[in-house]
Amino acid sequence: MAGPLIATKLHVPTRRPATVPRPRLTDRLSAHARLILVAAPAGFGKTSILTEWLASLGDDARVAWVSLDERDNDEGLFWSYLVTALDRAVPGVGAAALDLLASNPPSIEGVVATLVNDLDSRGTAIVLVLDDFHVIENAAVHAGTAFLVESLPAHVRLVIASRADPPFPLARLRTRGELVELRGADLRFSPSEASAYLNGVMGLTVQDDDIATLGDRTEGWIAAIQLAALSMQGREDAAAFIAGFAGDDRYVVDYLVEEVLHRQPDAVRRFLLETSILSRLTGDLCDAVTGTSGGGGTLEALDRANLFLVPLDDHREWYRYHHLFAEMLRARLLDEVPERIDELHLRASDWFERHGEMTEAIGHAIDAGAFDRAAEMIAVAMPGMQQQRQELTLVDWFEMLPAETVRAHPGLSLGFAGVLLSSGRTDGVDVLLRDAEAATGGTSDGIRAIRAGVALYRAAQALTRVDLETAAAQAGVAVGLSRDGSDIDRGSSAGLLGLILWARGDLADARESWSVSLDSLYRAGHRSDMLGGSIAMADIQLAQGRLTDAKETYRRALEVAAEADPALRGAADMHVGMSDLLRERGDLEGAHRHLADAEALGEYAGLPQNRHRRRIAAARLLQTAGDPASAISVLDEAERLYTADFFPDVHPIPARRARTQLAAGRKADALEWARRSGLSVDDELSYLREFEHITLARVRLADPADPSSIADANRLLERLLHAAEQGERGGSVLELLVLRSLALHKIGRAEEALDALQRTVALAEPEGYVRLFADEGGPMARLLAALAKRDGETAYLRRLRTAASGVRQPRPAAPRLIDALSDRELDVLRLLASELAGPEIARHLTVSLNTLRTHTKNIYAKLGVTSRREAVGRATELGLLTTK
Amino acid sequence: MTSSPSTDSRPYEIRIAGHLDARWVTWFDGLTLTAEDNGTTVVRGVLADQAALHGVLQKLRDAGMPLISIIQLDV
Repeated sequence: MAGPLIATKLHVPTRRPATVPRPRLTDRLSAHARLILVAAPAGFGKTSILTEWLASLGDDARVAWVSLDERDNDEGLFWSYLVTALDRAVPGVGAAALDLLASNPPSIEGVVATLVNDLDSRGTAIVLVLDDFHVIENAAVHAGTAFLVESLPAHVRLVIASRADPPFPLARLRTRGELVELRGADLRFSPSEASAYLNGVMGLTVQDDDIATLGDRTEGWIAAIQLAALSMQGREDAAAFIAGFAGDDRYVVDYLVEEVLHRQPDAVRRFLLETSILSRLTGDLCDAVTGTSGGGGTLEALDRANLFLVPLDDHREWYRYHHLFAEMLRARLLDEVPERIDELHLRASDWFERHGEMTEAIGHAIDAGAFDRAAEMIAVAMPGMQQQRQELTLVDWFEMLPAETVRAHPGLSLGFAGVLLSSGRTDGVDVLLRDAEAATGGTSDGIRAIRAGVALYRAAQALTRVDLETAAAQAGVAVGLSRDGSDIDRGSSAGLLGLILWARGDLADARESWSVSLDSLYRAGHRSDMLGGSIAMADIQLAQGRLTDAKETYRRALEVAAEADPALRGAADMHVGMSDLLRERGDLEGAHRHLADAEALGEYAGLPQNRHRRRIAAARLLQTAGDPASAISVLDEAERLYTADFFPDVHPIPARRARTQLAAGRKADALEWARRSGLSVDDELSYLREFEHITLARVRLADPADPSSIADANRLLERLLHAAEQGERGGSVLELLVLRSLALHKIGRAEEALDALQRTVALAEPEGYVRLFADEGGPMARLLAALAKRDGETAYLRRLRTAASGVRQPRPAAPRLIDALSDRELDVLRLLASELAGPEIARHLTVSLNTLRTHTKNIYAKLGVTSRREAVGRATELGLLTTK
Repeated sequence: MTSSPSTDSRPYEIRIAGHLDARWVTWFDGLTLTAEDNGTTVVRGVLADQAALHGVLQKLRDAGMPLISIIQLDV
């Protein structure tokens, strides 16, 4: 469990005795929906109707309930409560997610994904209620909850009670019939319900016309009706009361609360006002705040009298006031005895501190204006809260404390600097660090770590602005400061520096930096980050022409990925990377296998960039297999799903596509790309645009109409080759040498062409390049043949010639199905042929997403394919999709 | 909520349903309350910025006071 949670927030409210059953509403709540929303102002009976509905589900029903408050805007807290609530309802279902929440810092995405998976595979029906959702303002929490709405399995019903519509796509859910709503209009009490309450439950005798008057005045607002009932108890003339009430213009709830308070003994009235500052009450705490005794008894009496106390547990220990009632009380307190309020808060703070409830103790201290006291307590509580990602609470407190107070407490300056930084803010951090240094009389590990954090943050910002100089400088500062720091600090700063050096074309230095980074990230236990960094490392190694090193990088990364279960985020990316490497070396079967593995791992095992990277790898395989047309559609998909990251975009998809268009004979499209790109053969060259310039050269070489094109292309090639050699980009050098030999041959300098090719082959052999030559098709095949004839055929040369011979690679699929598809698998296959997305197919078949994945994996294996598109294609070929 | 003048501060008129007693003045922290003949109350004052405006609206929501209209007046 991530730190101490307040048990009462997870208490599932039990049905109160004094209520009117409302079956017309509870029936509606039982309908099937992706989201049940109860949206209405305070005091409309949202919690009551949900409590009644839950009771109707029977004793076997598994219910998870979270009563939210402002503190839950902290992602760490919010998910801790939510997962713990679910775990209480179905023991064990939240175990993995809670484990992840305990890590430092927790990846919320991982937590939510794990939770959804576990709920999915567990299959037990649960109702999850999030009460008072309107207190949530944090966009990240909204996004996470919206994700839950979209991905929860059908057997988990999500209910949100709120005073405001949550920022989800409600209209879309409505039109799809996936939303059940109870709104203010639904919750208003009808005259018959009001009558049942007043005369039935409250034992009054109110005539019908008076009920109608009351109904008009209160507009069916149950909180008001309840208050009116309390006011009429023991009164002889209920009708007169109602008449007076109806004739008064005052705000309904205020008028009625006044009536109710008026009828209380002084001591009780005072009790109510003074304890209204508390968000939860228990006898002992009330005694401390009011300076009296017998608080426990008073609370019980108030509860019995139905005076707006809501029990927070089953043993009548903790209560809270109904929100609306509390608000009315607070307004009166503020008006009557404003000078006492600080004292009341102070007493509350003291009580909470004595009972070890630090968050509330601190909150009340700040409310009391006792800033020094608050600061002392924050200093103690901060490390634990930082670890549990409760930064928002800390930032809130920071903003409420006067600057002098923060300065006067040594640990605070440093702590708040770290917290601000974690929330993505650098404003004021410098000042805090200077204060910290002044307080400690010099620098310390903690201060150094935060300075490193600031430098890292600034480096990242500069990188996004493509201000590489500033980025490199700041990253260098961060690396220097992290040298003796924690593994994670060292790993992050070395990684960022690695990215910047890479973007600047300093490949050797970039590799070294990444090496340090991967090592540190692994030791720090940040495996996913290590996997992500492995992509950068391998990309750099490939740019250097070090295929063997790149393969080792992926092999090691796959080893690390295999250590974790469920699959680490980034595991899929490693398979994709390995796949492309194997493809380059001509192991097409291996390449297909790794791509299939990547797909089978599912969406969550891939980093965001994997969506386009996987498709690019698939497209390259298609082109290698001699199907550039399909490759182009896959690249179009990749482009649509492209997500940018901090990696320099050295192989832009449009340029890749232009190359594939050339292979497909679509010269016009490729020329169009060249025209649109604004690139010219006379451009100044840079590493970042190298790939595009090489593509331009290819386009010009393929353009027969214009004789000057060939000369231009050759000129560009020579310049590119020189630059690549200068920059020690072995991979580019090899490609350019291949192009040069082809170009020389094209202009009739056959012998020079063969010389160039011979040199290239010698350079490529140690690293095992195959497709570098083979993907150039017919012209290269002929050149290789000529080389073999001239210089003799080595084993490597023979491999290259076989690969380049242009024979359509045999599909790793059997011509006939060896295992027939089951009926269920055929059902799935037919839906795969539709436009529906995975989760929708799963819902359509009423299976879990996991089950669907198992089916599709089996289908792919039986059809010998590695993607949905291929599966549909193959199924069509085999006539499996004809309707029965 | 009496604010020092800032470039974002504006005078607002917020109308809610029902009259409010004098005791509510402190709760409204520097804004004025005017009971209107049509049974509504107008809350008036200068608010520092949008955040302050949303703060007032949230308080009204917490107190269950039905919101009828918000008008930004000319400076």
